[in-house]
Amino acid sequence: MLGRGLKRKLSDYEENMAGLSSAFDSSRSLPYPLKRQLVLNMCLTKLQTYKMLVEPNLHRSVLIANTVRQIQEEMRQESNQQPVNICPGIAPASHSYAGMESPGISLQLPSGINQQESHCCDLRSAEDPIENSLLIVSDDDMSSAISSILKDLDFVEDISPPTCLVPTGDDQPKFPENTGLKLEDDRQDLKGAECVFGSFEISNSTSYLKDLAIDDIFEDIDTSMYDSDFCCPPLMPPRSPSLATEEPLKTFPSCNSSSANNIQICRTDLSELDHIMEILVGS
Amino acid sequence: ADIISTVEFNYTGDLLATGDKGGRVVIFQKEQETKSRPLSRGEYNVYSTFQSHEPEFDYLKSLEIEEKINKIRWLPQQNAAHFLLSTNDKTIKLWKISERDKRAEGYNLKDEDGRLREPFRVTELRVPTLKPMDLMVEASPRRTFANAHTYHINSISVNSDYATYLSADDLRINLWHLEVTNRSFNIVDIKPANMEELTEVITAAEVHPHQCNTFVYSSRKGTIRLCDMRSSALCDQHSKFFEEPEDPSSRSFFSEIISSISDVKFSHNGRYMMTRDYLSVKVWDLNMENRPVETYQVWRWRVPSCPLRPRAPVRVQRVSCPQVHEYLRSKLCSLYENDCIFDKFECCWNGPDSTIMTGSYNNFFRTFERNTHRDTTLEASRESSKPRAILKPRKVCTTGKRKKDEITVDSLDFNKKILHTAWHPSENIIAVAATNNLYLFQEKIN
Repeated sequence: MLGRGLKRKLSDYEENMAGLSSAFDSSRSLPYPLKRQLVLNMCLTKLQTYKMLVEPNLHRSVLIANTVRQIQEEMRQESNQQPVNICPGIAPASHSYAGMESPGISLQLPSGINQQESHCCDLRSAEDPIENSLLIVSDDDMSSAISSILKDLDFVEDISPPTCLVPTGDDQPKFPENTGLKLEDDRQDLKGAECVFGSFEISNSTSYLKDLAIDDIFEDIDTSMYDSDFCCPPLMPPRSPSLATEEPLKTFPSCNSSSANNIQICRTDLSELDHIMEILVGS
Repeated sequence: ADIISTVEFNYTGDLLATGDKGGRVVIFQKEQETKSRPLSRGEYNVYSTFQSHEPEFDYLKSLEIEEKINKIRWLPQQNAAHFLLSTNDKTIKLWKISERDKRAEGYNLKDEDGRLREPFRVTELRVPTLKPMDLMVEASPRRTFANAHTYHINSISVNSDYATYLSADDLRINLWHLEVTNRSFNIVDIKPANMEELTEVITAAEVHPHQCNTFVYSSRKGTIRLCDMRSSALCDQHSKFFEEPEDPSSRSFFSEIISSISDVKFSHNGRYMMTRDYLSVKVWDLNMENRPVETYQVWRWRVPSCPLRPRAPVRVQRVSCPQVHEYLRSKLCSLYENDCIFDKFECCWNGPDSTIMTGSYNNFFRTFERNTHRDTTLEASRESSKPRAILKPRKVCTTGKRKKDEITVDSLDFNKKILHTAWHPSENIIAVAATNNLYLFQEKIN
């Protein structure tokens, strides 16, 4: 059947993930930041998987995105309170999660991010796969990832499904090696995960044709031919914010202008193209 | 047999409709009790089968639209035919199911098999007569309500005025007139102008059973909004807002996900409504917004103080066995990893609104009696359900050694889930859908 989601290959990745979640559930001695990182990684992995589906489930994606937001907010609060007084800052946060772990754990919480990392290294070797792979994602990466994930809901991307299905093959082999995300690769994955909702509007908007002005429909068809080096940057005004609410086509950068300017550009390009053709054919 | 995706009794309970993942609707009819078959009371046999929705391919967006039936809702019967609404992700259809048990015989110009007769063979005129024939049940689509939903439709609900109905998707609710297919009114729109701010999703919606201007919709945040259509054309502003304050001691990473409401149902008397989230069922009084009046934990068993004796009043000590409930809470990460945490369970009321029922994992379904606080756990499986045998209540325990008829939490099968249940409007007959099997249970009358 056309349009069905890609099926992930069963690989070490899945075994690792299953091992992680059961470790999360069964182990009461996992420190809280580690658990949080585990959950975060799972969320991002899920979002990445959904990205590969042609039509991701909006409900689930929102739920996961909210969980990611929640964790991010907490991490931000912790890092904000860090310079002032660490222990009281973290203790209430862990207290609110008291249902998850025994009270003794909160005493073990390290007092800083750096110490968290060193504490991770102090874990028993049985949890090596976890601690080796769980590195702290910076707050900026997180917020940019979440906002880009949801911002893409608003975009009507004029891309066919294969574009979204372009394998993040680079990412997949990573998982068997390290079950988490490295810091630099986090940026990649998070930004890659931004496309998780990328096809939402194109898949869901029944008002696709009604909302667009007629010119916009032909915008990309015409200008794609003229997307050449001859386009003069000064001729193109920046994309107006009002267009964002009308679900504009996300096309080549040269096309992000109003239709009137576009026609002028087309005409300019057309004459230049003729000129080139004359030169080529004439000689 | 395909996976059953919805189950619904009609207003009298004589008909039971099921929809499945393949877009088919199967309607069962209750057998009439006759002298020759006194035990046939409560039996349902297949009445009609038809293909309601076909898979569609949206060429514009290069997407396939699933034919799975998300919801079926019956219309009240007004003539000899039956009408129901069935919906998939994008399109709602009104179907007419009618019986034909007579056919005309004795045409002048046609033979019995339909061939035209030679004119010279027609030597006399006769009046065609109606002769009985084998009952034939026909289903024909009468209306198609399409192209009104950008997102996936999760609920439909017929209004008490019997002229309108509402349909809800993830972000919008539309109001339709049953006669008009090319126009619908949008009454709720929670899509933010900036999609970055999207945090809320509509999970279920229902119209009040008596007040045709009132409806409720639930969200993934565990809140319910009651709206009055008389107040404004666009009901983005709610009239009542139902939310239970979160218990800070039970907070976890997954608190938000498990508080997402999967089903909301008004009681028959219109005074209460019931919501189902991942771990509990809550009954709300429409007059009280700050917390539910009753909460039932799906995974908590009450331990009776004395063995149950038939027909003796049951004294149930309020000693609850929270271990199983806590066990499931501790399993949340695994359930999140295998996506089980996103399962949407439904719930239903019995006719007098005295008992509520909901499904769970391992093909268990639970009933809660509101007055006595007695709960029963039953299993819908071939092994435990011989026809006419009495179901034994099941119990889940946490310890290794288990008593007879008990099952340990470790052996729960999370792939066997009962998401859809329905209760006969006036009798104690329940329909339970376990993946691709439909079970019908009735109260044993001696």
